[in-house]
Amino acid sequence: MSGRGENPVAPAIRVTDLTVAYGDKTVLWDIDLEIPKGSMVAVVGPNGAGKTTLIKSIQGLLPRVAGVISIHGKSYEKQRKEVSYVPQRGSVDWDFPTSVVDTVKMGSYGDLGWIRRPGRKEHEKALGALEKVDMLEFAQRQISQLSGGQQQRVFLARALVQSASVYLLDEPFQGVDATTEKAIVTILKELVGGGKTVLAVHHDLNTVSEYYERIAILNVGLVASGRVEDVFNSENLMKAYGGKTSFFPERKAAKRAV
Amino acid sequence: MSPHQFDIQLVAIIVAASCSIPGAFLVLRRMSMMTDAISHSILLGIILAFFLVKDLSSPILIIGAAASGVLAISLIEAVNRSRLVKKDASIGIVFPFLFSVAVILLSKYARNVHIDTHSVLLGEIAFAPFDRFILSGMDMGPKSAYVMGSILLLNLFFISFFYKELKVSTFDESFASSIGFRPRLIHYLLMAVVSFTCVGAFDAVGSILVIALIVIPPCCAYLLTDSLSRMIFLSVVFGISAAISGFWVANWLDVNIAGSMAFVCGVFFLVVFLLAPERGLFGIMREKRRQRMDFAEASLLVSLYNQEKGEAVKNHPDSRGMFQSTDFASKVVGFLKGKGEIAVTGGGLFLTEKGRERARMTLEGR
Repeated sequence: MSGRGENPVAPAIRVTDLTVAYGDKTVLWDIDLEIPKGSMVAVVGPNGAGKTTLIKSIQGLLPRVAGVISIHGKSYEKQRKEVSYVPQRGSVDWDFPTSVVDTVKMGSYGDLGWIRRPGRKEHEKALGALEKVDMLEFAQRQISQLSGGQQQRVFLARALVQSASVYLLDEPFQGVDATTEKAIVTILKELVGGGKTVLAVHHDLNTVSEYYERIAILNVGLVASGRVEDVFNSENLMKAYGGKTSFFPERKAAKRAV
Repeated sequence: MSPHQFDIQLVAIIVAASCSIPGAFLVLRRMSMMTDAISHSILLGIILAFFLVKDLSSPILIIGAAASGVLAISLIEAVNRSRLVKKDASIGIVFPFLFSVAVILLSKYARNVHIDTHSVLLGEIAFAPFDRFILSGMDMGPKSAYVMGSILLLNLFFISFFYKELKVSTFDESFASSIGFRPRLIHYLLMAVVSFTCVGAFDAVGSILVIALIVIPPCCAYLLTDSLSRMIFLSVVFGISAAISGFWVANWLDVNIAGSMAFVCGVFFLVVFLLAPERGLFGIMREKRRQRMDFAEASLLVSLYNQEKGEAVKNHPDSRGMFQSTDFASKVVGFLKGKGEIAVTGGGLFLTEKGRERARMTLEGR
């Protein structure tokens, strides 16, 4: 079953020749990337590799020097509603005067369009999403009272309300507790099981093989992308991180085999 | 209360209410000082528009003023985007420049026109009622009440139409643009609304004190509520109260009305800042004291619990280096005794069943 505006043959995300610069500094250089539908993909790379820039550029949030983005075969502008975005938790002011359920409701604003206000239906939907992330009891809580993990669950719930087919997450596990991390992974895997596509900026190389099927290794340019077992190796990591990582996937795999 | 006094307060209330509404969003967007820039830059627009139409009461002046407010914001952001200058410095570069151009034009070409620099800075709300709105020979009240009233309506419409858009783009700008709202557009609409408000308010309170009416009431409200709609509502309440009480303070002390309105705003903030139930300074201090006492009680209970082998802890808790002073130690012991969590017999401290339970719960991290 394909949802609204999905092209069954086109990849969920196709990035061609993407180049982005801030001032005179090139942040992304000539990225070509295809994300197949129904896959769970990690974006890894050292600090300043352009991971967040990639996620934002896919949604046209940043001006690009060059490049074409398509979602399910059509331009992002036409497919906006197919994409759900979870920004970095730290990018917003959590002292903003609003409640958990109202924050989650923002996920329905895109469907509502300009001026129309959320009503009962949107409220129910928000509560449903909160239940999914196990935060229902916090619905009326002020958002400043949440822990890091709870904040991340609220952000995920807001994305779930959007009922999109492509999920872009910027460091969803940054500074969250272990229980939250497990809960988020479970939900993301469920989404992928239901044919959705998940692309997440990821930091912890130790958990890549456990959480994701595919990976894109980035350092301004795209170092490698593909199935985790094919491209997640020390050669590619060395290319991306230089000497700055002591993580060797082969060693870990060997340990697991023993 | 004379009709004149009534009129002044009417204008003041409308000004204060119109200022507080967009003010709530400016404060949340960390753009309070943009008000400073806007309220000064509008003078240039007023003067240029005046040269164009040669009429001080033309509505073109308001449009010119709003346009120069938006121009100031765009220039500040352009300077800032160049990354050659920091944000606060770009504010400090742009608006004094625009304002100075206005002052030069004013002193060179408009000496005989009634826009004097003193009332630009401080306003003169006491004169507001003299300019009447006369409709077919009937006195309909002060003109500024109508001008400012229209601006208030504009603000109310803007906030109620775009409440959701303002909320999401203030809270999470990149998310807002990812769902197709245009935060830049909203931003400039808000700036235009603030400019209109400043133009209207500027006549009454001048370009410096308008900042007080835009920034302070929302800051008071922010410390008192967790909901955006309540914050806006409370801002308006604070603004209006400051307007009325400011008027009477001025009346009583025989001083400038705008000045005493802004002064009352400041006093309101001081009171809220100190006394707000959860976020006020005293509230925070009380909470800190409570946490310190809580921790001290729990550590004494746990230490008693750990050493509890049927025997009492003979020495005073203070001598075991647990607390910073004997006074504090006896206070902790006193509190625990009062709660029935320890008993003191023959100079020794014993846990009661209740105290044992709390110690156990503390150890389990509950």
